Amino acid sequence: MSSHREAPEISKDPVADNTDVYAFVSPDRPDTVTLIANYIPLQKPDGGPNFYEFGDDVLYEIHVSNRGDARADVTYQFRFHTLIRNPNTFLYNTGPITSITDKAWNRPQFYSVTRVDRSGSSRTLASGLTVPPVNIGPRSTPDYASRYTSAAVHDLGGGRRVFAGQRAEGFFVDLGSIFDLGTLRPFQHLHLIPSADAVGVNGTQGLNVHTIALQVPITDLTRDGRRPSDVMSARSVIGAWASASRQRTKVHDSQTGRWSGHGPFQQVSRLGNPLFNEVIVPMSRKDRWNSVDPDDDKAFANCVLHPELAGLLPVLYPGVFPNLAGYKKPRADLAAVLLTGIPSGVVPGFQNFTGTVQADMLRLNVAVPPTDPAKANPLGLIGGDAAGFPNGRRVFDDVVTVELRAVAGATIPLVDKTFTPDAAAAAVQDGTSNTNAPYLSTFPYLGTPAGGFQTTPGTPAT
Amino acid sequence: MNKPSRRGFLAAAGAGAAAVGAASVAPKAAAAARPDAGQPAVPRSGHTEPLVAYVRDAHTGEVAVLVGEQEVVVHDHDLAARIARVARSLPAS
Repeated sequence: MSSHREAPEISKDPVADNTDVYAFVSPDRPDTVTLIANYIPLQKPDGGPNFYEFGDDVLYEIHVSNRGDARADVTYQFRFHTLIRNPNTFLYNTGPITSITDKAWNRPQFYSVTRVDRSGSSRTLASGLTVPPVNIGPRSTPDYASRYTSAAVHDLGGGRRVFAGQRAEGFFVDLGSIFDLGTLRPFQHLHLIPSADAVGVNGTQGLNVHTIALQVPITDLTRDGRRPSDVMSARSVIGAWASASRQRTKVHDSQTGRWSGHGPFQQVSRLGNPLFNEVIVPMSRKDRWNSVDPDDDKAFANCVLHPELAGLLPVLYPGVFPNLAGYKKPRADLAAVLLTGIPSGVVPGFQNFTGTVQADMLRLNVAVPPTDPAKANPLGLIGGDAAGFPNGRRVFDDVVTVELRAVAGATIPLVDKTFTPDAAAAAVQDGTSNTNAPYLSTFPYLGTPAGGFQTTPGTPAT
Repeated sequence: MNKPSRRGFLAAAGAGAAAVGAASVAPKAAAAARPDAGQPAVPRSGHTEPLVAYVRDAHTGEVAVLVGEQEVVVHDHDLAARIARVARSLPAS
């Protein structure tokens, strides 16, 4: 979760595994949009000596559609290149890494950013950009928060900036309970296999991810190159998603002991809305879903209209969701949120409809001004905060609770006034909050990655 | 290229402490000083690099040739048949 190890094939390829996507109007620079794509899930901070890094053989991309057909109008490509400074040591660093350009860092990474438009023409925005080292510990990467992050925010000109490197996981979820037959610890006395209620356990606590964050003027992303102000205009809505691709085949070279790629890139991971492939798409089709583009998602629409999880909740929590159990109509509310965007007339004064093409994209109405983070509601739109999920997604949005409540029926009345949600639909949650590093108030917004030395391993329990 | 040594570690640690202030006041300068990064491999002209030929279907002669970051699909019965003959010559596994 939200897309960590969500499909059989990509779970074996973490370097290309897209875990979360965020898209929001930057609260501290409201004339810009911040796009964040995370990869490499569930990083244990002390996982050395070969610490986590981007794949030189992976094509990472962030896509934006602005014409209503769910095809990419703007794509940002990120390609990485790793150097080995000293080939005669096993050390990641041959001394303290005092800056992101310190020669004591034995395995630095660099990257390029290329912008590709709908016609396929591309322009390299920058190359040779430095990735910061991972957070190893106070001797190797001292004063991590102040020493590396701002130095790794690169100016691309024109108000654009980029960051690529390790960050603290920003997504929180009770991994241990949710995959144990859908247990929600705060309500587990109501579970089919009951036990005493408990507080949620954040399964991503203390773990890191690798982040690609891009902040660009809104005018770079809208179809007419303008900054819209009319929330109800179709031109105010963009759709965003991220992907990772690998070359079609690779051959192992016994002389070097390494793989070499051959052929064009083929998409192996994709993510727009959190949890889409994770809990909507059945296991037998997840790998296929990862390999196709959003404009092919009509083939998966039935999974949204008749979600398996909505059928499981009344079974796992007997008597708690009687109204949901009796609701047999296609879930037009989920289709609106996940596949088309919310049309006008559903939520007063708001829409993020991108047209009738059914596609999993994170839809952001850029005319909605950002909410002051101190006053923002992590429940986003269902919490009365139109600047949050599913209008894009901010780093602190509690998407697990939002989607649990939506699947449980809380959003059905938006499209079907005859339905009365079960009382539990408005209360259901996994009981977690972000117990990782605090978010930053400025770009790249995700917190300082947990250090290997500083992190205490979990306690074995049976 | 750094050669690891106790002296080197300790010297670097001292230098690190001194460099904190410099890094914090001039992050953009550090960012602007982009080092000698290599760029992703791109196909070289002439395609002299190793390539992969994938016989999709020997009966139709469909062969995909993967080179660099490109792919070309050819329909060549003779080529597919010759590769298939090589495959058939291998001992059964």
